[in-house]
Amino acid sequence: MTTTATSVDKPAAVRRPKNSRRQRRRGGPNWLGGLAGWIWLVIVMVPIYWIVITSFKTQANYYAMNPLKPPTSPTIDNYQLVIQSDFAQYFINSVLVTAGAIIPAVLLSFLAAFAIVRGNNWFLTGVNGVFLMGLAIPLQATIIPVYLIIIKLQLYDSLLAIILPSIAFAIPLSVLVLTNFIRDVPKELFESMRVDGASEWATLWNLAFPLTRPALVTVSIYNGLAVWNGFLLPLILTQSPGRRTLPLALWTFQGQYGVNVPAVLASVVLTTLPILILYAAGRRQLLSGLTAGFSK
Amino acid sequence: MAPLSTSRRDFLRIALAAGAGVGLSACGSSGPESSSGAGGGAGSAKGSASYWYLTGEPGEGIRTNTVDRFNKANPKTQIEATTFQNDAYKTKIKTAIGAGQAPTIIWGWGGGGLKSYVDASQVEDLTDWFAQNSAVKDRLFPSSFGAATIGGKIYAMPAETVQPIVLYYNKTNFEKIGAEPPQSWGDIMDLVPKFNAEGIAPFSLGGQSRWTNMMWLEFLFDRIGGTEVFQAVFDGEKDAWSNPASIQALTEMQKLIEADGFIKGFSSITADSNADQALLFTGKAAMMLHGSWTYGSMATEGGDFVSSGNLGYMNFPPVEGGTGDPSDTVGNPGQYLSISAKASDAEKEIAKKFFAESVLSDAENKEWVGAGAIPIVNGTDSLLTGSKDEDWLKFVYATASGANVFAQSWDQALSPTAAEVLLDNIAKLFQLSISPQQYADNMNEVIGT
Amino acid sequence: MTTGAPTTLLTVGHSRAGRTGAVTWMALPALVFFIAFGVIPLLGVLALSFTRWDGIGDIHPAGLDSWRVELNDPGLPHALKVTFEVMILSWVVQTPLSILIGVFLASHERYRAVLAVLYFIPLLLSSAAIAVAYKALLDPNFGLGAGLHIGFLSQDWLGKDKLALGAVVFIVSWQFIPFHSLIYQGAVRQIPRSMYEAAEIDGAGRVRQFWSITLPQLKYTIVASSTLMVVGSLTFFDLIFVLTAGGPGDATRVLALDMYKTGFQANLMGPASVIAVILVLVGLGLALLLRRIGGGGASDSQLEGA
Repeated sequence: MTTTATSVDKPAAVRRPKNSRRQRRRGGPNWLGGLAGWIWLVIVMVPIYWIVITSFKTQANYYAMNPLKPPTSPTIDNYQLVIQSDFAQYFINSVLVTAGAIIPAVLLSFLAAFAIVRGNNWFLTGVNGVFLMGLAIPLQATIIPVYLIIIKLQLYDSLLAIILPSIAFAIPLSVLVLTNFIRDVPKELFESMRVDGASEWATLWNLAFPLTRPALVTVSIYNGLAVWNGFLLPLILTQSPGRRTLPLALWTFQGQYGVNVPAVLASVVLTTLPILILYAAGRRQLLSGLTAGFSK
Repeated sequence: MAPLSTSRRDFLRIALAAGAGVGLSACGSSGPESSSGAGGGAGSAKGSASYWYLTGEPGEGIRTNTVDRFNKANPKTQIEATTFQNDAYKTKIKTAIGAGQAPTIIWGWGGGGLKSYVDASQVEDLTDWFAQNSAVKDRLFPSSFGAATIGGKIYAMPAETVQPIVLYYNKTNFEKIGAEPPQSWGDIMDLVPKFNAEGIAPFSLGGQSRWTNMMWLEFLFDRIGGTEVFQAVFDGEKDAWSNPASIQALTEMQKLIEADGFIKGFSSITADSNADQALLFTGKAAMMLHGSWTYGSMATEGGDFVSSGNLGYMNFPPVEGGTGDPSDTVGNPGQYLSISAKASDAEKEIAKKFFAESVLSDAENKEWVGAGAIPIVNGTDSLLTGSKDEDWLKFVYATASGANVFAQSWDQALSPTAAEVLLDNIAKLFQLSISPQQYADNMNEVIGT
Repeated sequence: MTTGAPTTLLTVGHSRAGRTGAVTWMALPALVFFIAFGVIPLLGVLALSFTRWDGIGDIHPAGLDSWRVELNDPGLPHALKVTFEVMILSWVVQTPLSILIGVFLASHERYRAVLAVLYFIPLLLSSAAIAVAYKALLDPNFGLGAGLHIGFLSQDWLGKDKLALGAVVFIVSWQFIPFHSLIYQGAVRQIPRSMYEAAEIDGAGRVRQFWSITLPQLKYTIVASSTLMVVGSLTFFDLIFVLTAGGPGDATRVLALDMYKTGFQANLMGPASVIAVILVLVGLGLALLLRRIGGGGASDSQLEGA
């Protein structure tokens, strides 16, 4: 494919549309698309706006005033309540679980993807097939045996209980995306490495790793998001408050303070804040990587 | 061929990274709370037992105080407490027991749930212990042992309070429409359109929790056909749900729902969040059928609703033409503390000491009375005079002790499997998506399971 | 260092086998993990469906008992019906909107950056967070509609069967349209300009161009996005669990939720495993079906006619 070279050189989304495209006039603006776009923006933003402003109202104010108006006397009491309810601990747990799952998952998937692309035997083809089938297995369906396995391994109510299955379920998709990406690396580059006498290992780290980096970032972020927001595994496999992750804490908090809408919404904001910050920092890579991985 | 040294180094690098990732989290998860070998209950370090119970004031505070008192008196042997909300607790305790990570002291409602633990050999037989510690046994209401006894043996210590289900009402709302509290089912149906016309919901209800709906049926069944109707179900009689009294009760229930007797959105309101209570004390609803335990939380969260005497209470009124005894009541004849069979001997000893010394101590009883509840200890009526909630307490005491029959909540009396089907069908009945006959047919299928 | 043709040939032959041998083991750790926590549980679910277990006691082999119980349970076809309703409705809502928005995003350079930022936010929220927020927002007595005194908005969204289902579909769409529209946006931007130019020369208007060029070129993307949507919708649990717990009654009790309730609330792990097996089979079936519909198109060039 002649486009291979360009895709190796630049990450997908940076691929600028040709000038003629940018300057084209499409016979009038795209009304329908535009309308849909703006309406959808409103639909997306209204709840988010509502969540944020309500989190700064007191409970009494919330019931008294128009829900869409910003608070007249904003308060951070709700946030203090949330933080006092041990949210720091839950945050740390979420971080540990996400890092502990994603780093191994992405690394192992990368190794496997490299092997699948570079290797050439029935075993590796079989492995690839197993992972592809694995894409269709929902985590929910296996939760009962996973519960049993975790008990037998005496890992119940530990963060590892959440991490290990998370790694396993992150692998299929990661391998899929990474194999596609590695396949785009021109064979000539591999050949030149081999001609230089490099082992497959060196090729892995010195050639494939840098070139695959955008996909690695994509896969890390996508899986990281899934694990960070994961609910079912912590729900079933942990029990102590000290092991709770943020989504579970959110549910518990809501169950307890349900009537106190501003406090509940403050907890929603707080649990999302870390991701929002990361998003602000790494948005371009996330967006470009995601669309590149999936439009293939 | 290039030497393999690079590859080994790189391999180590990877292994380190992957291992660090997992190790980091393992560090985070190990600690005094991680499970030890066999015999370790949940969260038990050396010399401590664990105890799980429900959140929600006033019970939570009182239970915590009892544990604190025990821990102060026994510095070498501590009890570690963990709290859960009602609905979450019911599932979590099962996964914990199934995982062999049950707390040493298991809080529960006795009855069918306890039986499922007994059948799985997960709780200690306390019959002998009670025989040896008869002083502990004799202090308590004899009727409270019913739900703790399975197959003739006692598997739990009755604790805490009697909790009959009570019909609460908001006196101000009644004054607004110039009506009297209902004395019969007919009165209730008459009141419904009157309150709705004023923009006041006749009844508040936390329908999403499902057992809240069940309380209505418990009373209707009893008032219309007497306790024999449900007793037949409990005893496993075939087609017990198709009893005409049963069908009549179910039909009347749907009539009330169809007449907009319940607050709008009741099927998405949960009891755990106390939203249903809030509707009563903020005046949005006129009446509420709920457990006596809610008195305490309404007193604390409802501002001056309770203290100003605005809260009215009565036993569920009789139904015209019904054969049930109007003095009957339903609810929880007590709460029940069991000891996990998988706990270590040391932990079990701590638990038993806790039972003997701290549970329902005088200090605890005073706190219960102060919160408007009757502990299941003989002679508490003497504590009642002079308390700020004297009228209420005397009412609860009279209702509980004066009841001809104090029936246990259905979802606790039945096995968890049957209870789940029950709650499911009750929810659908309240949604008006199944008819009384369909309900009866569905429930008849699971009789005896 | 190898030089000379014959040596190179030998080296190639040797290296390929050696290369394969060297790389094969690289796939092992991932395979081990996946087998341990993916394949074995999958087989375990099948095995458990032939047992009787209440989750707290011992596991007893029970042959086809659990299968019989579950297949006779009217709750199962109902859960399947609800699951498919959610799946189809959410596809019908999400796909056209995502395509439209994707096309819109692809063409408006200036706004695109800003909009893309905002659009993506729902995806960052956990399903639990979204459910918690919407539970409060849709409350008929204390929510957004009630506060604005708009009768239509303050209905008992989560308390009436059909409304609850609609609410779930809406919230799911709210959460995932951003994702799918980004996929479509990326795909639309890959359609070569030349095709549109040719159509314009032939006098085709915008709408015609959309139907004749854009949509067919998006075929593979539609299949990919739809596969994700459809298989993903089978696994909805978090959102519905927190939002309605399957209610009201069982109006939103999708398969995954039915499995949880049967296993962990009703103490029937055997039948719950049966539901899990069904869940997997349906998922596999759908994935294969969509693959078939998408055709071997993955390898065909979509640039024909460019």
